[in-house]
Amino acid sequence: MNAQTQVTPTDLSQLSNAELRRMELKIARKYSGDVPWIAVIWAFGNLAVWLSLWPLVFMDILPLWVAFPIATINLALVYLPTHEAQHDIIARPGTKLRWLNELVGHATSWMLLFPFQVLRVTHLDHHRHTNDPELDVDITSSAKGPWQAIWNAIQGRQPKAKRNMDYLASLARNGREDLIVLSLFYRVGFIAILGAFAWNGFALEALLLWWLPYQIAITYIVFFLSWAPHHPGSHQTRYTNTRSWKSAVGNIGSMGMQFHIVHHLHPYIPLHLTPAAYHEMRPILEARGCRLGDI
Amino acid sequence: MERALKLVAGSLPLIFAFAFLVPLMDQVMRVAGITAPLGLSSLTLALIIGGAWGLFAQVTGRWI
Repeated sequence: MNAQTQVTPTDLSQLSNAELRRMELKIARKYSGDVPWIAVIWAFGNLAVWLSLWPLVFMDILPLWVAFPIATINLALVYLPTHEAQHDIIARPGTKLRWLNELVGHATSWMLLFPFQVLRVTHLDHHRHTNDPELDVDITSSAKGPWQAIWNAIQGRQPKAKRNMDYLASLARNGREDLIVLSLFYRVGFIAILGAFAWNGFALEALLLWWLPYQIAITYIVFFLSWAPHHPGSHQTRYTNTRSWKSAVGNIGSMGMQFHIVHHLHPYIPLHLTPAAYHEMRPILEARGCRLGDI
Repeated sequence: MERALKLVAGSLPLIFAFAFLVPLMDQVMRVAGITAPLGLSSLTLALIIGGAWGLFAQVTGRWI
């Protein structure tokens, strides 16, 4: 179907739930199915830029104070292609480009210190149990306001944080205890790399190219991908557990999460198409009683 | 093997402190021109502060 074709009639008041569902799915299918090459280019471009910072800094071609903000942006940007791969958006199982989907996931997730499969298993668990206080792995990101959300994101990375326990429980619930050991190897590997740099006189480089950018990026990611779109974190039904909202930093600044509701309803739609899908789907979402912001 | 893995997993704050935090503090002090008190070397002071912070994180389960 032509992506420009509107499939939403103006008056939805007389339509049944089944009819609304059919229209919603028709729009969702319209915006899905193609390989989102932008996510692939994004993944490897971002990785290449971040990796190049290391030799550029070590050879004194690029000052560390310039490399630091670039590395922070790289670390913040790395999650979204990984997220596309978690949902098989680049290529579904059994398709010709499946290897590319998995490559994108594995090639990027390590920068955030997680094995790709851990992110996939736990994130899909989040979709199944969104805002469930017992089962949602991201429930610890819920907060009354933005400052508390930032503080919670920092607290979620402490050694004995509940968030860590929630992730471990999710892996166990999904029969993937094997990934717990793999996660430990990633974490130890990270410390080993930092330590190797640090004890050889490059502690500041390791700090400002990876450790601190990682801390800032994860806080930013948790804020915009986890806290903001699910706020206040108490609704649990399919059409209310996420929302749309107008972000003060715009759609790019909030990593496309203004339209996160479309992602939760139809997680196979690529990130870059969720705004268009949202605008076309909006009357249906209104009719469904979704929590829609001024956007 | 499982015991060893649990030991490593349970000691990550201390491992992080001595692997990264201590040499980082040492280098920051030297770059910033901070002199350690009581005639200590910057590395010794980093070992004391970084080690204590790591121990705190190890015991309480939080760095901050």
